Amino acid sequence: MSLALPTPYRRIRGFFRAGHRSVFAYRGNLLLGMLGMVVQVVLTIVVWRVVYSGHGAVAGISKTTAVAYAILAASFQTIVMPWQFSSIPTRIRRGQIGVDMVRPASLIAQSLAQAVGTMVGRLPIGVAGILTGLAMQGLRPPAGTVAGIAWVASTAAGVANVLLINLAVSMVAFWTLDISGPMIVYRFGSAFLSGALIPLWFMPSWLRPVLDWLPFSAQMYDPLAIWFGTIHGTGIASTLAIQVGWLVMLWLLVAVIWRRATYRVVVLGG
Amino acid sequence: MANVGVVREDMRAARILLRASWRAALQYRTSFVTVILGGIALQGTQLLFIGVLLAKFGQIGGWRINDIAFVFAVRLAAHACYVVPAGAILQSDFLIQQGEMDRYLLRPAGIYLQVITSRAPLMALGDALLGFGAVAIFAPRAQIHWSMWTVLYLLIAIVGGGLVETAIQTFICAFSFVLTSTSSMQILADDTVTRFSGYPLTIFGRWGLLTLTFGFPMAFIAYLPVTVLVGRAHDSVIPFWLAAISPLAGPILFILAFAVFNRMIRRYSSPGS
Repeated sequence: MSLALPTPYRRIRGFFRAGHRSVFAYRGNLLLGMLGMVVQVVLTIVVWRVVYSGHGAVAGISKTTAVAYAILAASFQTIVMPWQFSSIPTRIRRGQIGVDMVRPASLIAQSLAQAVGTMVGRLPIGVAGILTGLAMQGLRPPAGTVAGIAWVASTAAGVANVLLINLAVSMVAFWTLDISGPMIVYRFGSAFLSGALIPLWFMPSWLRPVLDWLPFSAQMYDPLAIWFGTIHGTGIASTLAIQVGWLVMLWLLVAVIWRRATYRVVVLGG
Repeated sequence: MANVGVVREDMRAARILLRASWRAALQYRTSFVTVILGGIALQGTQLLFIGVLLAKFGQIGGWRINDIAFVFAVRLAAHACYVVPAGAILQSDFLIQQGEMDRYLLRPAGIYLQVITSRAPLMALGDALLGFGAVAIFAPRAQIHWSMWTVLYLLIAIVGGGLVETAIQTFICAFSFVLTSTSSMQILADDTVTRFSGYPLTIFGRWGLLTLTFGFPMAFIAYLPVTVLVGRAHDSVIPFWLAAISPLAGPILFILAFAVFNRMIRRYSSPGS
């Protein structure tokens, strides 16, 4: 007996499958990606341990926390921020977009399902990073049970945040065919501003208020700060509320861009 | 004399192919600007990363801020010397999977030349702006007594570093003829160089440094030549003479990688066949 999914989910299931199968199809590539993750985590741990040698806590953060943060950030980044983060630009370039827009499931649902599928496909790479961190005794458990539970909610909000901004940036392809420039500016800008490259604890004091007004810290820094207990107590509730607030705003932004983008599509021969 | 004729023909082909790929890339003005900005963002975040780190910690592995910033700057400039002429080599998987390589085999021009001119790497202009800008800013601040010879050594080191990176990617590209998909390997090499070749590599320990010199030759890109310039070549297990001639590693490694590339082409079978 097979479990029957409600119709809306069945409509996008194929896109979810396409997402993770496109990663699993190239097994050699996946294995090398895992090897790359191991190398990257090992070198990152060494760099942070050397940076901290001769220092106690810096900006209130101990060496063990900084090392563990770097491992988790690198592992999560590889899963939730892949190079190919949306299928929309390729669909537009190939002219496939016209057919995709008349499918029973909306293009946004198709694209999000495929992006989630890609993230699932990349899970083994992130797991390789976490296992390497464990093997090098660099990881730390969550600060407590509440922190652990809140981290799950915060991470889910962070992933949704990444998916929505990725979608908004990729829809620029409706206006300019080649979006490799904006995509790279966004990818590396968000990696820096979200705390994926360097924890926001170490950012200059003049930059912190700016970062608090941007949606990127909700992607990586907020969940990890909850994990390590630097955001605690009522801070957890307000952080989660801000993350949800960003999701609502980003959803509205995507809806506005999508509404305008639909008027841009001209299907040849149609 | 026949060789001179072949070189002249290849130069002519290179000129035609380069002109075509750059003209194609320059058709989209907005894209031109945003892609250059993308190049600056890609490498600039690494510079920001090290900047934030040094502002908090002051030094890494006994190296002061200005000297580390200089290693990073040399790495960025060397990277530009690789991506401007040869960055399109990262397209090799795509060229094979789409059947483009089959067309290259039939044309009267070198395969390698056609691969590296297959696309004008616009983003590389951003890398060049950032790389040489960073060298201009950080070179006067590093602990180096500048003279005509040290400037000349630096320039040769930058070009040599670019050739080391080109050699690494050429070597990987050679395997795309038999493996079809090597993008993870390309990204692994590119990521490792981008993230870690700007540090004083002694921080990775004795075996780490030896591996990054003789296994994966990242040390030749910036670290070893800079140790000579800032007078720290005696700090590591690498002999001084090897550090001193490290800029020559680029041409040597490139010739070896090019030979491997030409050898592996013979094992190519079209994905469509």
